[in-house]
Amino acid sequence: MKIVAVAACTSGIAHTYIAKEKLIRAAESMGHTIKVETQGTIGIEDELTAQDVKEADIVILAVDIAITGTERFEGKPTIKVPTNVCVKAPKQLIQKIENELNK
Amino acid sequence: MNVRDVLDERVMDLNMKAADKKEAITYLAGKLKDAGYIADVESYVEDIYLRESQGQTGIGNYVAIPHGKSDSVTQVGIAIGKMENEIEWETLDGNGVKLIFLFAVGNDNENAKTHLRLLAEVARTLGNDEAVDKLLSAKTVEDLKAVF
Repeated sequence: MKIVAVAACTSGIAHTYIAKEKLIRAAESMGHTIKVETQGTIGIEDELTAQDVKEADIVILAVDIAITGTERFEGKPTIKVPTNVCVKAPKQLIQKIENELNK
Repeated sequence: MNVRDVLDERVMDLNMKAADKKEAITYLAGKLKDAGYIADVESYVEDIYLRESQGQTGIGNYVAIPHGKSDSVTQVGIAIGKMENEIEWETLDGNGVKLIFLFAVGNDNENAKTHLRLLAEVARTLGNDEAVDKLLSAKTVEDLKAVF
């Protein structure tokens, strides 16, 4: 499946980027494509385009704070989790999404 | 600039001895002070503990990433301490911590974006379990730098 995600943690320094890496590694190892936007202290990076969102099967919001641009995801299947979930158990998260989407 | 430019030997100790979390953070903060990254150990450590109170900084795999924004920071950087023994820490996997990345980040970051981007790269590497295994077995600063 095609996954898009936004990662944003409280300080925007560390967890955001660890979560991004964990999500990418887990998703790709399970045969999915993924793009992860980060909203951190340095601003928005790898911003999701309208096309990215349109093509996505699922939106993962790995966020501990309010983020900008949530209107982009209206009408899309979305799962919201704390960044810690992505850091601790990224594969389980994606497995859970697979199960939900295949219901 | 690349990631290795923020990996400063002066603020690394791969044979760190610390009995607990407080001792480890204070010791690494002292190194940051000596190398000119922070102005004051006490207020910096206070700000680190403020972030600690908001959630776990132990990311599992024996790694902790204490951080937080502090006015005491004069230059963005990262101190690294590695220990033989685990110390107690609030972690996602319930294990202790052997490897600490202490981030020094200020509140005014307009002029620090280049360095912050490099810190983000360091954080990303910590999301790679294979890289973390290599970091945990690093014996020298060169071993450690080679992972990034």
